[in-house]
Amino acid sequence: MVGEILEIVFSPQFFGPVVFPGLVTVLLVLLTIIWVERKIAARVQMRVGPLYVLKPLGGAIQMLADGLRFFFQEFIIPETVDKLPFVAAPVVAMTFAILPFAFIPVAPDFIPYSVPYSMPVFLGLNTVIPLTIIAMAWGSNNKFSIQGGIREAYMTIAYEAALFTAALAMAITYGTLDFAEMVEAQGVPGILVNPLSAAVFFVAMLMSAGKLPFDIVEGEQEIVAGPFTEYSGIAFGLTMGIGYVQLYGFTLAFTLMYLSGWEPLIPFLHDIYPALGGVMLFAKAYLLMVFIVFLRSVYGRYRLDQALRLGWRRLFPLSLLSVFFAVVLRVIGVV
Amino acid sequence: MSVEDLLRRLEEKGLEPVDRGDVVSVAVEPHALREVAELLVEEGYDHLASVEGIDRPGEDVIEVVYHAESYSEELWGKLAEIRVRVPRGEPRVPSLIDVWPNALFLERETWDLMGVVFEGHPELRRLLMPPDWEGPPPLRKDYKVATEGVFVVVE
Amino acid sequence: MSSSVMKARLLSREGDESVYEVFIGPQHPASGHMRFIVRLQGDVIVGVDPDIGWVHRTMEKLAETKEALKAIPLFERMTIIDSQNVTIGYVRALEKLLGVEPPPRARYLRTLLSEMNRIASHLYGMGLSGIFVNHSTMFMWCFGDREVWIQLAEELTGARLTHAYSIPGGVRRDLPQGFAEKARKAIRYMRRRLEEYRKIFFDNPQVRARYEGVGVLKSHEARRLGVVGPNLRASGVRYDARLLGDYGVYDELDFVVPTAEEGDAMARLLLRGEEIRQSMRIIEQVLERIPEGPILAEKYLRLIPPKLREPALKEGRIKFPGIFANLKIPEGEAVARAEMGHGEIFYHVVSDGSKKPYRVRVVTPSFRNVVLFRYLPPGHRFMDFPAIYGSLDYFPPESDR
Repeated sequence: MVGEILEIVFSPQFFGPVVFPGLVTVLLVLLTIIWVERKIAARVQMRVGPLYVLKPLGGAIQMLADGLRFFFQEFIIPETVDKLPFVAAPVVAMTFAILPFAFIPVAPDFIPYSVPYSMPVFLGLNTVIPLTIIAMAWGSNNKFSIQGGIREAYMTIAYEAALFTAALAMAITYGTLDFAEMVEAQGVPGILVNPLSAAVFFVAMLMSAGKLPFDIVEGEQEIVAGPFTEYSGIAFGLTMGIGYVQLYGFTLAFTLMYLSGWEPLIPFLHDIYPALGGVMLFAKAYLLMVFIVFLRSVYGRYRLDQALRLGWRRLFPLSLLSVFFAVVLRVIGVV
Repeated sequence: MSVEDLLRRLEEKGLEPVDRGDVVSVAVEPHALREVAELLVEEGYDHLASVEGIDRPGEDVIEVVYHAESYSEELWGKLAEIRVRVPRGEPRVPSLIDVWPNALFLERETWDLMGVVFEGHPELRRLLMPPDWEGPPPLRKDYKVATEGVFVVVE
Repeated sequence: MSSSVMKARLLSREGDESVYEVFIGPQHPASGHMRFIVRLQGDVIVGVDPDIGWVHRTMEKLAETKEALKAIPLFERMTIIDSQNVTIGYVRALEKLLGVEPPPRARYLRTLLSEMNRIASHLYGMGLSGIFVNHSTMFMWCFGDREVWIQLAEELTGARLTHAYSIPGGVRRDLPQGFAEKARKAIRYMRRRLEEYRKIFFDNPQVRARYEGVGVLKSHEARRLGVVGPNLRASGVRYDARLLGDYGVYDELDFVVPTAEEGDAMARLLLRGEEIRQSMRIIEQVLERIPEGPILAEKYLRLIPPKLREPALKEGRIKFPGIFANLKIPEGEAVARAEMGHGEIFYHVVSDGSKKPYRVRVVTPSFRNVVLFRYLPPGHRFMDFPAIYGSLDYFPPESDR
């Protein structure tokens, strides 16, 4: 009986989406990366940052305290909102943010759901999230939320095309649409093979997750908190977390496609349990996330039409160029 | 554009300007106000520094004082002051918003706090007072500020 | 542009059903103590109505109920970040009515504190311009560096923000020991920091994209609208109330009043940085050239009883002479203008010979700049509105008095 349960728990189909790099790891990453962001910003800004929650560790579990507080706070549902979208949208958003982790391979033999097209599925599931945010904005029945929802719609149209096309360029380069096969095919990391595609994917990733300089949807200085204005309590925690979960997923995808994924596989960890061999993948993705949240200390926010112009006039043509470049590389026979 | 030109032109109009060091002051009747204002604009005083109302209940007038300012180097040391006296019960003055566009907020504030009506001002509504203020204009001398009593607990 | 075209742009229009009204109200993370009714058509602003008056503290009326001297701490609460420059105008007006002139050392000390306050006020403005495009690093750095100047002011006056330093006839306290050394250290620190600001904010391509070409105010418009301060000088008009020679020792010192030609938001921000540099030059010259002497005019100094006078002068702290409790202002009127960080402040004091002034009129620089909220935003996009607000350095408590 216990043996069967353990077998289920440690099977890739369960362990992947739920423990690593799925739900449990997502929560741990959420807890730590926001603390890292606040600490880095504080150090750059001549401040201390969160300090008091666990003072010897420098306030490391501050976000745990915040998360617990969200659980005890009242989730106020105003009278004037449209109840179904208002209540359901954050939940659906978070679900679709965590769902793509089922398609991330952590080690060559540890793939939760092995499909030959895991990359488009991953990106496609992430595309549902802007729809839920628009549902949040609509349900909130608030001028600022509607403005935020409209901005989200515009931004989505701006970056999605470039994101997909840049990923397509890598797919052409390696001749496969599957993350696991892409990592196997990478001798030289993808970022050196097709740097244009990497750059486009990076900027589009920033726009998707709403990180500075593209945090236009929750533009605090103009529209209070955008689509998330009316949320309080645990729903507020969910909405704040969506961006970070998306960021984590995208950095994993970036590492798989451009930074040669889980190479070098650490042999002894891999022997203990296959998923542990994916520690390098996680470390690279985490370092990338630390760099991205560091950008908060350097940048302000772009204006909406400047971000849209960037997406359509610069990123999309560059991504098409990267596809062309990938085709050329394949034809020449370099890759 | 100099102070001597200004004094000369004001005297030509039959007014009596007084040079008091920092300001050149001239007293004007309400109906001649706009002419004098346009003269000042021509002389280089192209914007207002302040519009105020001074309540003089003893003489039963409200004195509206305009201070016009210039940014050009010959004139910036001297403000041009126009003083207009209007009866306290019916304080009406023509609005100078066509002559000096930045009278928009200054005149509105004077109406709000002192009760002087500027005829022709397009937006005479509450600026500093709450939008539903119905009482008398607060800066008048006979306005009594409502005070709270002092509550003392005697044991 | 004729004044009727200007007037048409200034008047508020309600608009039809296609106009979308957003209340950037007092309950908003980025509105300050005021409300803006922004009328949008799509993403383009067609009108802004600044709704001020939320922090109206009836200072003009209160000044009529207090003795003339007690209005000095009252008026400095209008712009507490810049308190010397706010009160120096009122003190000058009182001095003109009383017929008393401050001694040279007092004028140098007033100039010193004026410039220190100007630097602190400009850092506040630059910090606001950072946070309005969500650049939190600039915000935190400016406010952190402001601390240096506030502590320096505390050395000189005894209070961090509420200085109440100038009194009719002179100043309240003298330079403490070691002040010059600390001031020079602060100036060296600030020069390094201005370089850092340039690297992270003024040369940041994202910040340039937000601020360049936004809210352009042409020179003749600035003159006609009567705007003041760095907003005026960034449009090419070289006017500064310090050049009037009415207070302080500015005509004896060697400094430049910087101007810029473009008149956009970026020019306004860069100008504030330039003015900080010039203020530091003035402080260095003041510390070199300050003469010895009393810090209160002879007319009032001899009214302090001799037993208190000597220790007061030696310690550098003035005891107010008894007459200050019942100071009667002679009958008459006086006008004074001073230059604050935000611009020119105007005082008109009317006295009827009693202890309390008959009427005090104060027009603050932010009140004169309110008209820019009507005039500049129409035609811009909605996200330009915080950029315009951040570049104007508008201070609501000062505007509402």
